[in-house]
Amino acid sequence: METIAAISTPNAPGGIGVIRISGEKALVFADSVFVSAGNKVPSCMAGYTCAYGYIQDENGNHVDDVVLTVFRSPHSYTGEDVVEISCHGGIFICQKIVSLLFSKGASPAAPGEFTKRAFLNGKMNLSQAEAVMHTIQAQGEVALREANLAKNGRLSKEMRRCRDRLTALISAMSYWMDDAEETPDELEPQRLCAEITALLDTLHQLSRRYDDGRIYRSGIRTALMGAPNAGKSSVMNWLAGMQRSIVTNIPGTTRDVITESVRLGDFLLLLSDTAGLRQTGDVIEAMGVDAAYEQAKQADLILYVVDSCVGMTENDRAFLTADILKKTVIIYNKSDTSNVENQSQEMNGVICSAKYGKGYDALVDAIAAHFVGRAALNQPALVSQRQKSLVDRAACSIQWALNGLECGETIDICCMELENAANILAEFDGENVTDDIIDGVFSRFCVGK
Amino acid sequence: MNYLGEFDVAVIGAGHAGIEAAMASAKRGCKTALFTISLDQVGNMPCNPSIGGSAKGQLVREIDALGGVMAEAADACCIQMRMLNLSKGASVHSPRAQEDRRAYQQYMKKKCESTPNLHLIQTEIADIRVDENRCVVGVVNALGGVYRCKAAVICAGTFLRGKVFIGQNEMESGPDSCLPARHLSSHLAELGIQLRRFKTGTPCRVHRRSIDLTKLIPQAGDENPLPFSFFPVNTLRNDALCYIANTNPKTHSVIHEHLGESPLYGGMIEGVGPRYCPSIEDKVVRFSQRERHQIFVEPTGMDTDEMYLQGLSTSLPEYVQCKILRSIEGLENVEIMRSAYAIEYDCINPKCLYATLAFRDFHGLYAAGQFNGTSGYEEAAAQGLVAGINASAYVFGDDELILRRESSYIGTLIDDLVNKGCEDPYRMMTARSEYRLSLRHGNADRRLTPIGYQYGLIDASKYALFQQKMEHIAAEVERISGLTVSPAPKVNLYLEAMGTTPLNAGIRMDALIRRPQVTYSSLVKALGIESNVTAEEAEEINLMVKYQQYIERQNAQNAHLRHLEKVRLPENINYASISTLSSEAREKLAKAKPLNLRQASLISGVSPADINILLTLLKVGENNGGV
Repeated sequence: METIAAISTPNAPGGIGVIRISGEKALVFADSVFVSAGNKVPSCMAGYTCAYGYIQDENGNHVDDVVLTVFRSPHSYTGEDVVEISCHGGIFICQKIVSLLFSKGASPAAPGEFTKRAFLNGKMNLSQAEAVMHTIQAQGEVALREANLAKNGRLSKEMRRCRDRLTALISAMSYWMDDAEETPDELEPQRLCAEITALLDTLHQLSRRYDDGRIYRSGIRTALMGAPNAGKSSVMNWLAGMQRSIVTNIPGTTRDVITESVRLGDFLLLLSDTAGLRQTGDVIEAMGVDAAYEQAKQADLILYVVDSCVGMTENDRAFLTADILKKTVIIYNKSDTSNVENQSQEMNGVICSAKYGKGYDALVDAIAAHFVGRAALNQPALVSQRQKSLVDRAACSIQWALNGLECGETIDICCMELENAANILAEFDGENVTDDIIDGVFSRFCVGK
Repeated sequence: MNYLGEFDVAVIGAGHAGIEAAMASAKRGCKTALFTISLDQVGNMPCNPSIGGSAKGQLVREIDALGGVMAEAADACCIQMRMLNLSKGASVHSPRAQEDRRAYQQYMKKKCESTPNLHLIQTEIADIRVDENRCVVGVVNALGGVYRCKAAVICAGTFLRGKVFIGQNEMESGPDSCLPARHLSSHLAELGIQLRRFKTGTPCRVHRRSIDLTKLIPQAGDENPLPFSFFPVNTLRNDALCYIANTNPKTHSVIHEHLGESPLYGGMIEGVGPRYCPSIEDKVVRFSQRERHQIFVEPTGMDTDEMYLQGLSTSLPEYVQCKILRSIEGLENVEIMRSAYAIEYDCINPKCLYATLAFRDFHGLYAAGQFNGTSGYEEAAAQGLVAGINASAYVFGDDELILRRESSYIGTLIDDLVNKGCEDPYRMMTARSEYRLSLRHGNADRRLTPIGYQYGLIDASKYALFQQKMEHIAAEVERISGLTVSPAPKVNLYLEAMGTTPLNAGIRMDALIRRPQVTYSSLVKALGIESNVTAEEAEEINLMVKYQQYIERQNAQNAHLRHLEKVRLPENINYASISTLSSEAREKLAKAKPLNLRQASLISGVSPADINILLTLLKVGENNGGV
């Protein structure tokens, strides 16, 4: 197996970042980037020992001071040789180190690959591995709650209901194909199409709900928007706690979309700062504005910054259509320089001062109010891409069955597609569908010889 | 010692399984003994006088394609032939024949008698002799006579400790008033073979003249009946009529009134009955919302007036049977000639067999048919054929035959039996095969005839015909895949007549054939294209083209099963030492000794996680040069 490397700490600013390397060549790769303060060479170090030193790039430049820990196979998380490099947090530094490792021949680790290797090497069983994956993925309390919904079986039950409906149809079809002279009521064409369509809708809904679920696991895609110089970048820097965007008071300085992940209460915001909204003749900046509109369309949440000294402008009103408002929290910024309480607020919003860090709690509450009430919280949602892909594949087979029925294909073909769908859904908990169908045939019907 | 003869293969029981086993073994050159309790009951149909039906019809055609005899006999003794499920898609079309029961027995007996190497002997086999290595060395009859043999095939049907129930009466009996086999069970148990009780039943036979046929709905055979055999030798007789009657609320109330007199409800029968073929009292209780159940009145032969009442199997007392029948319209004055009965018998759990149908714990011991826990003549014959081929392969030291699930219903049947086992008499159904779109009755020869030829059951002249047919089909499929159809007026007239959209641009011919409303034959005719294939070949071409994309989807879906099947589990694997497996999995795997991962995955209690662990261990083992 290839030697893999990845940043093991969350892709967010923090006090410390850990880069993990695992595989046969982990120590060799570590040798190639690490310069020890005490003449230690990783490949000569014993397991469970560490060394202090720094990482050096191809040109001999000092990247960061680090502590390097060696784990020898099989006494490591993955069971392979593992090196962990603890550096100073910060996405840039972590990424620099990991790309250095890639340039030496390490492969990027797929999501969960360290855990997968641990499983493959017998370090943990599958359910432990899955539990680890859930914990890793749970990015906040809400996500944990959701993962628990899945664990408690609400999701399984919902999937089970879909499968039961499918199985009932397949049993009826199988029974009819094998024995019955008269068509059972549920196979009467209109009723059959209606039931299949209903099933398809349910699966499509589940698939869509995955996107809601994603908000809690991977973070809320948040677009930071507002008129030029309303203070978007200051808000971003305030929230991110570090200088990221270039902040000036010349309108229109932010031209690229800059992303930062920020934890806010229970939520993880994937924050993008965008060019200010302004009708502009500047071509380069116009491209930035287009990107901003695009960003707004794709975002789960829009933080719309209004300069409370200026108040809401025509441009703001034009942008904040009813559709956009549904996912927008308005931030009346610069409350420090204006008497905002006395200004009439056209639309509900949060009063903040990014400069002085005021209004943080109110902002968190406003964001929570946006998401906590959402259906996804109370209904089981798919928690992994694997599950979503199963649902989508099942829906695809059911669609084939429906199309087939509508264009006059025979029941054997439609039945096979529905069976495919049932089998795919059975992968959720690894059950055998054929037995269900046979049992269904026997329990529902009176079969002659 | 009471020594009576020496054979390569001994087949115990001359029912549908035993006949196929013995015929295959003898044809392959083994000196074969076929033992029966009664020479007058060879190939008997103690229940329904018919062969085929849903999924079973496919089995019969597969038996024929592989070189068995059931199809040929069923064609020869057919009195009515119908293709079932015509409206439900070609993959589930199933031929079914009404048979002259006596003629069938005679045909089969004569067939056995005239087969070289085959010795038909009337006696009750009571014991199987094995040596210290658990290799079969002989069989012993009830009088102590010994027949030496190298392999034995048990096809005991419902004879082992057979017990018949009618009402509160029970008697030791085989089916159809034959003697039961009283001795073999206990000796099998001594050999360590675990037996269990199953039960089945059969309805009354009634006199034709006592039925008012004018009150029933007649059902005739097909206009153009298709024989079971791919190499038919005779034209089918097809002039018998069946009739449909119905039970009614009065019938049901009679049954309810007397339910207490049923040995099933009275708890006298311990055996597990078939779910698919419930007795009428079962149906009335379980499906109480239904106001009527269909009854088929079927002739049992051309030279007899005995009629079989399909759908009315029961173990209620005789006088109640009479009351039930007479409550049915058309049967008001019915005369019962043979009473309905339930029969209980010993059988094995087939999980103790390999897919060759050999016992795992013996050398040279095979089993087939109802003794394996199945039900139905066709299921029995299918197993008999495979067991006979493998018993002879064992004698010769040849390659054994294991039919894969995707190859056939026979393969699916045996795979289900030996891997999943069965908790009630196993009946084949199309729903049991995840490959059913490709297991059509019409392509059984494509799937199995090369195998039959390889094992010497298909002779060279038949095989040449088969190859010719395959070449014709392949050439035509190839040809039409290169043809396009342009939107000419005659084409669009044809398409409109078939109820589908006319063309406005050229289209590939095979794409057009895939439309449900279009068939290859009718399209070729409409286009005026030359085509020199037979009607049978044309149908195959049509279906191959039509089903292609669905079969591809089906195969893609099932690919992971085949992958698991390829991962073999070494025999000496020590499951107890694999700590990452669940304890239930460790225990069940050690007991079941699956041969490959797919078999392992079918064991209840073995989770997908356990399979992943095994998969991983085996992979790691390979890299390190073994487990």
